[in-house]
Amino acid sequence: MTLALRWGLPVAVVAACVGYLIYSASGASEYYLTVAELRSHAQGGDVRVAGVVQEDVVMTDGGLHVTFTEKDGTASVPVDYRGALPDIFQPGITVVAEGRLGSDGVFHARTLLAKCPSRFSTQPYTS
Amino acid sequence: MLGVSLAPATDAGKSAAGLGVVILGYLGAGALLAGLVLGGFSALLSFWAGIRESPVFIQIGRRAFFGAAAMTALAAVLLEVALLTHDFSLAYVAEHTDLSTPTALVAAGFYGGQEGSLLYWTLILGLLGSASLVAGASLGGRVAAYATGILAVILSFFLFVLAVVASPFDLLSITPPDGLGLNPVLRDGGMLIHPPVVLAGFAAFAIPFSFAAASLLAGRVDAAWIRHTRRFALLAWSLQTAGLLLGMWWAYHVLGWGGYWGWDPVENVALMPWLATTAYLHSSQVQEKRGRLRGWNLGLVMLAFLLVVFGTFIVRSGVVPSVHTFAISAIGPWFLGFLFVCIVFSAVLLAARANAAPAALGRPPAPVSREGAFVLQNLLLIGVIAVVFWGTVLPLVSGLFGLERVVGTPYYERAAAPLFAALLALLAIGPLLPWRRAGRPTMRALRWPAAAAALALVVLGAAGSRSVPVLIAVPLAAAAAATVLTEYGRAVVRKPEVLVRKRRRYGAYLAHLGLVVVVVGVAASHLGQQEKEVTLAPGGKVTLAGYTLTYTGSEQRQLADHTDFVAGLRFGDRTLEPSRATYAGLGGQALTHVAITTTPVADVYVVLAGINEDGTASFRVFVNPLVTWIWAGGAVIILGVVLGNAGERGVEAELARRRIPITLTA
Repeated sequence: MTLALRWGLPVAVVAACVGYLIYSASGASEYYLTVAELRSHAQGGDVRVAGVVQEDVVMTDGGLHVTFTEKDGTASVPVDYRGALPDIFQPGITVVAEGRLGSDGVFHARTLLAKCPSRFSTQPYTS
Repeated sequence: MLGVSLAPATDAGKSAAGLGVVILGYLGAGALLAGLVLGGFSALLSFWAGIRESPVFIQIGRRAFFGAAAMTALAAVLLEVALLTHDFSLAYVAEHTDLSTPTALVAAGFYGGQEGSLLYWTLILGLLGSASLVAGASLGGRVAAYATGILAVILSFFLFVLAVVASPFDLLSITPPDGLGLNPVLRDGGMLIHPPVVLAGFAAFAIPFSFAAASLLAGRVDAAWIRHTRRFALLAWSLQTAGLLLGMWWAYHVLGWGGYWGWDPVENVALMPWLATTAYLHSSQVQEKRGRLRGWNLGLVMLAFLLVVFGTFIVRSGVVPSVHTFAISAIGPWFLGFLFVCIVFSAVLLAARANAAPAALGRPPAPVSREGAFVLQNLLLIGVIAVVFWGTVLPLVSGLFGLERVVGTPYYERAAAPLFAALLALLAIGPLLPWRRAGRPTMRALRWPAAAAALALVVLGAAGSRSVPVLIAVPLAAAAAATVLTEYGRAVVRKPEVLVRKRRRYGAYLAHLGLVVVVVGVAASHLGQQEKEVTLAPGGKVTLAGYTLTYTGSEQRQLADHTDFVAGLRFGDRTLEPSRATYAGLGGQALTHVAITTTPVADVYVVLAGINEDGTASFRVFVNPLVTWIWAGGAVIILGVVLGNAGERGVEAELARRRIPITLTA
């Protein structure tokens, strides 16, 4: 084998493998939508929706079950979430809900991420 | 979100107001401006001196750089003084601290906010840059001059941003009686140590970059720049390693979501330079020892530095969605411009000069050799960088073509896990391969790691493990550990003094061993985590993974600025007290305090979700196996780097005297 082939072939194989891994794993991507886009975007699979938590927060089950309305600029959607809430969760903050819109018109969230409101760049992580 | 605290200033006397202190702001801004002028002067003069090879002007350019660094240090001292004297006439001080903040955290406010963290970065760049220039005088006129020039350009860019775009010395028109304070989430010891270590690790990598680019500019393509900047590359790598692990430790202990890594853009942009630096530390040895991979090493150093700048741009510009709210500000476009300039500069330089005057190196090595192992390791690490990079920029790219898309943990796991597994296998095989060509003796040497992997597989099978990731990760980790241990064993049996004489090699093995410990901790805690959400009445029990917790009741504690709801849980003879604090002064913001107890094989991690009016309490309970191995392994890695390189230059020099110069004709 020539030099180029002996070294080039393994390099090409590794590059192809990485490309394939990225391509196949990208199937796990989710749409990141506004509330209005959520309404118009009828598709299966989980999506993420960002919006501001409105005042109608109802917590039950020791804070492990919560319903509220999420609103962004133009549209709003009721959200139902079961699980531990981020520390800073309260009306007025921005949350990113991950889940899907049910046929009942309610967004059933699997995870709820809070956007930290402070100015710090090293912002903590809450889910 | 944080309103101005309306609590009366308890210690108003400390808030020294008046003209005498407003002056700090003017002095600081003046120092930054003077630094900028000196930095620009140093850059121009050094490049000119390099072209003309004028020793006198090289000296002057270097001294101007020291001057710029000194001005940066002065600005840093002034900002720290303003913070500690509660000079709220400065917007930065008022926005990031208040009178009730503990002194240590007030001091940490220096790097707690955007402008301050930039100043801190610039300070480290100035100090380490000066140190590298003092040590680099022996490199010869042109390289030293160009390195000074490039460092001065980088320093001047930061000083420009600090002086003009995002100054920490901006004054408020009215001096408030108290500041806004620090978000309670950040009122933690981790805040004192994690950000400065990460930022210093990033800043330190500007030095290998500058010397690499200077060598190219000067047309010198030997390994002198690698040897000269090795200590700085190691320092940068160690700081980045420690910074990543400290960040994980902090997230795990403070944030209460049961994990330590979330593949958020902020974490990703810190991981990518680390991966590139790791690749460089390995491939640079091929050039040092065998004279090969010159262009490749230059490319890697540039890649690592570009990833640092890219990360800063991502973090400061808010162009990708993240749960971290970025400090979105006017500096984003400036960093994008700087990134663009750096990319063009690096690419043009590499294309124009990297292949200049190739040395006669004799026959190329076989692919199955130590050279080949280093190259494969580099390719795999770059593969991981590609995976992380694509995941980070996907929202940007997809947003250009339609609806924005994002990826989460499943993407990173599916794409990166096979690459990490291959890297782990290489960790077992690579150190045993000889330079140039591997033959039969290598096959014999591989029997120990192979035996260890087989043994691990049998033990796991007997224990009933059916998880494929576990069956891959643990045997490979066992093989990698066996490789290190047999190498140590061989050295001790044959010639114990090589452990000291070749400490660089055996220190690296220790770092490998630490990495194996980290990998086992990550694999176990990630693949074996168990989680349960429960609501318990007093006396109620919850059992998870064989650990039983009994809820004993809750109490409310009123503290100075917050109310603490504390739940008690009995675990054997220990008591766990997870709590939720509510800060009245911060719009009722809640803060969870996780309770963690460590057993020999797992952490029991309890988060209090809430206390109900009927006396019941809701918890989120995690059992995280072997998390402590991650922190312990990290300490071993750093120990390996320190032991392997302490006083190492003396040894190198001695070896160099005895060794025949590297001529690679077979």
